[in-house]
Amino acid sequence: MDMETLLQYEWNSMWPEFTILLTAVALSLIDLFMNKKKDRSLLIWLALAGIAVAIVCLVLQFDDGVVSILNETYRLDSFAKAFKFLMLIGTGFVLLLGVPDESTSVRGEYIYLILTALLGGMMMASSADLITLFVGLELLSLSSYVLVGIRKTNPLANEAAFKYVVNGGIATAITLFGMSYLYGLTGETNIYEIQGLMGSDVVTDNRFLAVFAFLMIVVGLAFKITAAPFHMWAPDVYQGAETPVTAFLSVVSKIAGFAIMLRLLMVPFVFAPGTGEIITPDGISYETLLVSVRPYLVLLAIVTILVGNVIALRQLNAKRLFAYSSIAHAGYLLVPLAALSELVFEAVWFYLTAYLLMNIGAFAVIHVMSAEEEVTVASFAGLFKRAPYLTIAMSIYLLSLAGIPLTAGFIGKFEIFMSALGTEPKRYLLVTAMLAGTVLSYVYYFGLFVQMYFRPSKRQTPVTISNGVTAVLAITAAGTVLLGVFPSIALTFIHDHFQFLEIFNP
Amino acid sequence: MDYVFLIPILPLLSFLIILFTKPIYKKAGLVGTTLTGAAFLCSLVVLFSHFAQGNYLVEANWFSIDTVMISVGLEVNPLNALMLVIVTLVSFLVHMYSMGYMANDERYATFFSYLGLFTFSMTGLVLSPNLLQLYMFWELVGVCSFLLVGFYFYKPEARAAAKKAFIMTRIGDVGLLVAIFLLFWQTGSFELDVIFQAAQAGDIAPSLLTLIAILIFVGAVGKSGQFPLHTWLPDAMEGPTPVSALIHAATMVAAGVYLVAVTYPLFSASEVAMTTVAVTGGFTAIFAATIALAETDMKRILAYSTISQLGYMMLALGAAGYTAGVFHLTTHAFFKALLFLAAGSVIHAVHEQNIFKMGGLSKKLPKTAALFLIGSLSISGFPLLAGFFSKDEILATTYGDGRYVLFVIGLLTAFLTALYMFRLYFLVFLGNRSTEAREAPSVMLIPMMVLGVLAVVGGYIQTNWFGTFLGDWLETTPYTIAFVHPEAPFWIPLVASLLAIGGIAVAWLVYGRKTSIEESNERNGLHTLLYRKYYVDELYQGLFVRGSRVVAYFWMYVDRFIIEGGAAAVTYAVKRFGQAGVKLQSGQVQTYSTVAFSGLVVVLLLIAVLGGYF
Repeated sequence: MDMETLLQYEWNSMWPEFTILLTAVALSLIDLFMNKKKDRSLLIWLALAGIAVAIVCLVLQFDDGVVSILNETYRLDSFAKAFKFLMLIGTGFVLLLGVPDESTSVRGEYIYLILTALLGGMMMASSADLITLFVGLELLSLSSYVLVGIRKTNPLANEAAFKYVVNGGIATAITLFGMSYLYGLTGETNIYEIQGLMGSDVVTDNRFLAVFAFLMIVVGLAFKITAAPFHMWAPDVYQGAETPVTAFLSVVSKIAGFAIMLRLLMVPFVFAPGTGEIITPDGISYETLLVSVRPYLVLLAIVTILVGNVIALRQLNAKRLFAYSSIAHAGYLLVPLAALSELVFEAVWFYLTAYLLMNIGAFAVIHVMSAEEEVTVASFAGLFKRAPYLTIAMSIYLLSLAGIPLTAGFIGKFEIFMSALGTEPKRYLLVTAMLAGTVLSYVYYFGLFVQMYFRPSKRQTPVTISNGVTAVLAITAAGTVLLGVFPSIALTFIHDHFQFLEIFNP
Repeated sequence: MDYVFLIPILPLLSFLIILFTKPIYKKAGLVGTTLTGAAFLCSLVVLFSHFAQGNYLVEANWFSIDTVMISVGLEVNPLNALMLVIVTLVSFLVHMYSMGYMANDERYATFFSYLGLFTFSMTGLVLSPNLLQLYMFWELVGVCSFLLVGFYFYKPEARAAAKKAFIMTRIGDVGLLVAIFLLFWQTGSFELDVIFQAAQAGDIAPSLLTLIAILIFVGAVGKSGQFPLHTWLPDAMEGPTPVSALIHAATMVAAGVYLVAVTYPLFSASEVAMTTVAVTGGFTAIFAATIALAETDMKRILAYSTISQLGYMMLALGAAGYTAGVFHLTTHAFFKALLFLAAGSVIHAVHEQNIFKMGGLSKKLPKTAALFLIGSLSISGFPLLAGFFSKDEILATTYGDGRYVLFVIGLLTAFLTALYMFRLYFLVFLGNRSTEAREAPSVMLIPMMVLGVLAVVGGYIQTNWFGTFLGDWLETTPYTIAFVHPEAPFWIPLVASLLAIGGIAVAWLVYGRKTSIEESNERNGLHTLLYRKYYVDELYQGLFVRGSRVVAYFWMYVDRFIIEGGAAAVTYAVKRFGQAGVKLQSGQVQTYSTVAFSGLVVVLLLIAVLGGYF
């Protein structure tokens, strides 16, 4: 590669990434040279400014076609833009949550590690090569490990970070193992090249290895999206980490996980042959690989939904409760994937949008309350008396998480149902599991309701809420209701700007 | 007609105003009552303009997924115009009544805001022209019911009841939701008229249509407290009594019946579905009536009575009696709301709900007693009162449909209804036990009087003597339903009246003369005639009361141990599964990795074996 080719690339398609990278580097330098005793909240505002610029750059690219640079390893298509958009917004909320008030302070590392994690996530959404995908995944993971353990003196945080590193390591190993088979079968690392080679004789003769590679990658990535039984680290880590970091892990990290999962599973394998043989008059042909592995995806989705919801019933710690709740939601998100619906990208994207709003909102409420004590279910007792507006916001998130109509969560679930029932044959099993899970989830979501409205409070003092958190609460609560009442805002937006199916075109 | 949107908007406004203006604390009742009253007037206007202009429909696009357009809108047809009037009228009266009943409650304003939200949801439900919109409001009324049942949150029973009510009805809702999606994938639409056209054109396979109708009915079973999903309704009596009158007697629980009526073309296309509805309804009617006979809590008796009467309506609908079901829904809304409000007035006065600890209240609360008597007579089917006509219509329909077993069950239920209602009435209002009590304020009495009048005259909208106005009008609904005009044998009203009066008489002999029984004991040796009378009492006691009480206790135990036990078993299983999961979550990284690797190994083994590589 010479200088001329390098300059010919459409570098401007990477502006959002550059912005985040530059902000992260600049912030680390400022942190290094800044007076140690000085307040770091300035850095948060700079980071937020960086994110705002990145969002503007991204929005300006919305209507561009597919751009592919750096020897086809970086790719900007609708899918990448849609998921990066969500990650940027989610990270913005997380940073706002971390804005310190008079009594607290913030560490500089926290801010730029969140940005590097975000950068990793964006790479995961925008990469078209196994190697760059993996680098993105690791950048996100390594930054997250440090973020979880950033409270050095807190034993819970240390334990959480340790568990996260060990489990993350296992996940990485399994993912890489699966990727190595892909490379072995095709001799390529670019997923679009792999897609083209999947019909070759070598692959057809070794169909089992392709299925094996697929399942290994699924299992490896299942850790990232906390699908059962690969979810066990999540409750401990969510509990041990600081609440904004937990919010980041449960939302932004999960969005990135779904982004890489969708691209890495759908693109290379879409034309691959599966294990089942179809005998036609012309000879033997094979069903597609995605059809062969569908039962495993269905199993994964059902187990995740049931495990998340059932164990959540028994949780007393609020963060652990929401960890299991977010496991259950990962299960719902797997439903359109397992149904192999045409609507999968749209359904997943919309549900993630709803999930972002309601889950970050719920964690914002927990963050506010954790200033008083370790938040348990009982801490919510009598919250309505102490902080009526906070309680109304929390009620909106809970209703939305439970999928009650006129909230974004309902429309999200509705779209998932439509996707699962719109395929032939209809996925009744998936729908039944999802409905059963939803009914179970009412028990714990409405348990919190009972606490907030129906129980007397131990404390009488009003709750103090910082301005940053107030902004997050207002935007997420309004967004949840808005998307519930006027879902066409988001759906028309997707329709006008994103052609998700271009993900398949090399 | 173009102002029909005001009907849901006014109560919503009431909810929002009260929610955001806590300072006007004592005015909340007034605001709520005025706005609901205005909504009632609008409903009346809509009802009358429907007479003049016929059906009305307005729709707008809400959102679209892929190529499917989801719309929202408002529809007025005979059925929902009638429902609107019932809902807003009862809601208005309950608002007014609550100004007295809840006057000393410290969450007075909150109560009225919930009532406003409920009225909004209920009117929204009724006005929905498509199933998705209907389902959303269906959920919302459930949420409101949850909030209102748990209103006295300091009582643990109230909290438990609120949760139970919500989750039990949700089980039914899942059936409804699945039915809605099935209909969607068969017809490509959520719109009721498109669905009915498809059903009538035979676009849906008959077996699937039956399944869909039964799933819809499962939703109705949950909401209307039909067997076996009825147990939440008696527990829901933990809510404030005006709420029981509004939600758990007149409106929300009737929504199940309304749902079956709305989707009636689907039911009438399937004989199996119709029979399911009729049998479930008939069984629930007699089942709940016997339990009402053994209960001792005033409100729980009324709750079981509601279940039984809703069963009656289902029986009517299942026996092709569209008019009869809707008619009974209407009259029931009046007399049952009246009974609950009068019961509330008693509870308000004596702070007691056990009927054996009350007595002689007719002297202390003469007006309440008179109104309660009217309600009891009406529900018992006493001749010429509202309940008489609607019950007669149901019995005639069932007979005309050839369902003789169910017809006999209906007759028996009519007898039991009179018996348990007057057992309640005599024990509470007669006798010479004297309890301290003061009559309710007029703000509570006036709504009861209005309902009292309706409980007397409400039946004249549909009689075989003066004209079948209701039936003729309901036939103008936009979807053709095979309307049945039962040729009632002349003896049915006679037998029904006799049974009602018989039930009242038995109740009188057993409970009404509780004091005179003691007196006659003294005169026993002196007066053989009196002694013989007493002997007849014993006979009655033995034959009717003890017999039916054995049945009653039997069902009560079935209810308590088998049905609740079944629910408990499911809960237990879920709990144990949860416990196992929690135990596995030991905090040990080794365990976590073991679980994960086991998962991986299972997946790989499965693919190796199933893929034929092993």
